[in-house]
Amino acid sequence: MKPIRILVCDDSLLVRSRLKESLRQCGDHEVFEAKDGQGAVDLYKQHLPELVFLDIVMPEKDGLEALHLIKQFDAAARVVIVSSAGTQSHLRKAIEAGATDFIQKPWEQKQVESIIARVLSERDEQHV
Amino acid sequence: MPGFSVKGMNSMFSLYFGHYLLNKGLITTGELTEALDLMDSVHLKLGVLAVNAGYMTAKQVDQVHQTQAGMDRMFGELAIELGYLTAGQLDDLLSKQSKGHLVIGQALVDKGRLSLEQLQAALEDYKKDYSLTDRQMYLQQEGDIDEIVSTYVKIEDSAENEIFRSYVSLMVRNVIRFIDSSPRVEARQVIENLDAQWLVWQEITGPINLFTAIACEENVFMELARRYSGQDLSGPPDELAQASVAEFLNLQNGLFLVHMSNNGVELEMKPQLVDHNRTMAKLGTSCIVPMFLNTGRCYLIVSNTAPVM
Repeated sequence: MKPIRILVCDDSLLVRSRLKESLRQCGDHEVFEAKDGQGAVDLYKQHLPELVFLDIVMPEKDGLEALHLIKQFDAAARVVIVSSAGTQSHLRKAIEAGATDFIQKPWEQKQVESIIARVLSERDEQHV
Repeated sequence: MPGFSVKGMNSMFSLYFGHYLLNKGLITTGELTEALDLMDSVHLKLGVLAVNAGYMTAKQVDQVHQTQAGMDRMFGELAIELGYLTAGQLDDLLSKQSKGHLVIGQALVDKGRLSLEQLQAALEDYKKDYSLTDRQMYLQQEGDIDEIVSTYVKIEDSAENEIFRSYVSLMVRNVIRFIDSSPRVEARQVIENLDAQWLVWQEITGPINLFTAIACEENVFMELARRYSGQDLSGPPDELAQASVAEFLNLQNGLFLVHMSNNGVELEMKPQLVDHNRTMAKLGTSCIVPMFLNTGRCYLIVSNTAPVM
């Protein structure tokens, strides 16, 4: 299996390290990390990851602003919002901005596993 | 005063009732610690449960015990025969026997620190002192967090205070879920200025603006960090320790936003921040709640104005 290139963006070192551990349990993937929205946009342009995990509330540029910029750059970007505030309004804004999934913190391992499985299965379909 | 730890939601009442007995001078700190340590091994006896439920007096329980001494009969059976209990009441007590809420009372009686009469009087005084109805007393003994917060944090009824109350109740639930199985909250304090060795704060904005924070000494901060991260961290707090406590507050506030959103109020929050050796001045109309964890006290702060820092 070819590793998935994944970008993890959260201002919390703890959340980044927990997300990386969750991803490690899903396989040996290539993970980049950013700690604010601007860093996420820069790293996205540099590495073109196949999957992004993005927090909403962050200093500098928040997750929704970063999501807009990433989608402007690459309309096909697959971005999962990871937030402790899973309100209707956040969910709506994230979907309107083009997020593919929304995970409420604290997440369960199976949520991350199912997202990785979907990326892999879509990748297989594209190769058929 | 050191923190005391008890296991399980039903034991929550034991922790509060134990401190009530301590504050009333009925037991010493050592006796409280001993009783809380004993809780795992104590078996609740029907006599203590019957007195707590108000089905029997301490005197009647003693009488059953005396009668029991001369013959090989079960307590419940004899109590029914003597007309002190009905079969329905006995069923109720048997179903409560597996719960932990009165274990502290049993431990103190077993150790001879309190007589059954003193326990009965203390339970009645407790109910009276906190103006609890039977229903409220029952909810406390069932480990109902809203009831415990209402009783101990003493937040008067008002629309503004309702927000403080639901915030503090949610925080206690999250502390139980992620940090410490038996936090103990005390009455809300009105303080203009608060010095914090370690402070994590986050602002909530929207139709309602709130400043939220956790302030504590370094040892408590590190306990929060270790428990929430699940990692073996040691002080002084490094970036991971700081991120852990900050993320715990962020999680609490995220869940609070969901709660408010479900009630039709959409709020946003700013990034969480950490600092140390800070004084918060002009705390305004705030709700400052002391919370005791295993290693010591922290303050939960929720205010409708941001303090001067």
